[in-house]
Amino acid sequence: MMNEQDETFAKKAKAAFDASVDELDAATLSRLNRGRHAALAELARPKHQWSRWMPATGVAAAVLVAVVLLQTSSVVNEVVGPASVTDMEILLGEDSIEMLEDLEFYSWIDVADMDSDVG
Amino acid sequence: MDVNTAVFALSWPGTPITGTLALQKERQLNRFLAEIERRALRIAEIGVRDRDEALDLVQDAMIKLARNYSERSDEEWTPLFYRILQNGVRDWHRRQAVRNRVMVWFGRKPSDDDDYDAIAAAPDPIGRAPDEELQNNEAMQSLETAVRELPTRQREAFMLRMFEGLDVAGTAVAMSCSEGSVKTHYSRALHALRERLEEHRPGEYGPMEGE
Repeated sequence: MMNEQDETFAKKAKAAFDASVDELDAATLSRLNRGRHAALAELARPKHQWSRWMPATGVAAAVLVAVVLLQTSSVVNEVVGPASVTDMEILLGEDSIEMLEDLEFYSWIDVADMDSDVG
Repeated sequence: MDVNTAVFALSWPGTPITGTLALQKERQLNRFLAEIERRALRIAEIGVRDRDEALDLVQDAMIKLARNYSERSDEEWTPLFYRILQNGVRDWHRRQAVRNRVMVWFGRKPSDDDDYDAIAAAPDPIGRAPDEELQNNEAMQSLETAVRELPTRQREAFMLRMFEGLDVAGTAVAMSCSEGSVKTHYSRALHALRERLEEHRPGEYGPMEGE
């Protein structure tokens, strides 16, 4: 709730502000005028048609990505999973680091073992 | 265009309004923007301390209002316009802060905003204005300096309520906050400004003679 002193202050502050608005120079007013006409030109411009389909398109894209990721991850798990575990065992194990130099060879042995298990 | 076609054109998203309705809407918006633009410029200028930047911000706000909210009723335009403008001012300050950090990183002195001196930056009015205008300029300069020193939300509430004359509900929409918050921010701003200005300029902002 404003008391009398607040109201007096408010009147003076508003008067000072209004005076500063009235004193704007012609160049500034001209720029404001140009800005206003640029804004009005927006009214004639058609809005993007695609924008109203964006929510539906976004949901559809998210579902598609999720399905693809789920499909891919199950395939990846089948093939890469054991190899990844093997890699971790190698890295965390106490075997000689020189073994890492022959990593491709050991991966090949793993795959060969898996093939023979399947066969 | 008959009325049904016009209404359809208005309601179908993505379709530009055409015909008589378009002309009417354009006139309404033109009137609204012409009425508000000068006060909006001064409010933005107090917020960013730079007229050119303020002009850009006001133009952006006008364009965004026309692009996104022209189909709203004209009673909604004022709070929506100021919401866009206040967001623009806040974004401007964020960009300035980042720019200043980058400048510091490259060993350069940030912009002179940090050591801004309102008195030094004030235009010299001697010889260019009558006494009354000079007093007004000085009073407004003091007020601007004091308003800039308020916390952001208090400053926004004060300028929207006092300078633009928005009511509490409209200010709440413009500031994206509750009406209670607006009342609190405004009241605190008013008291802080009054105390400060009465202390420094008792003749201009103190009680009127005979009070």
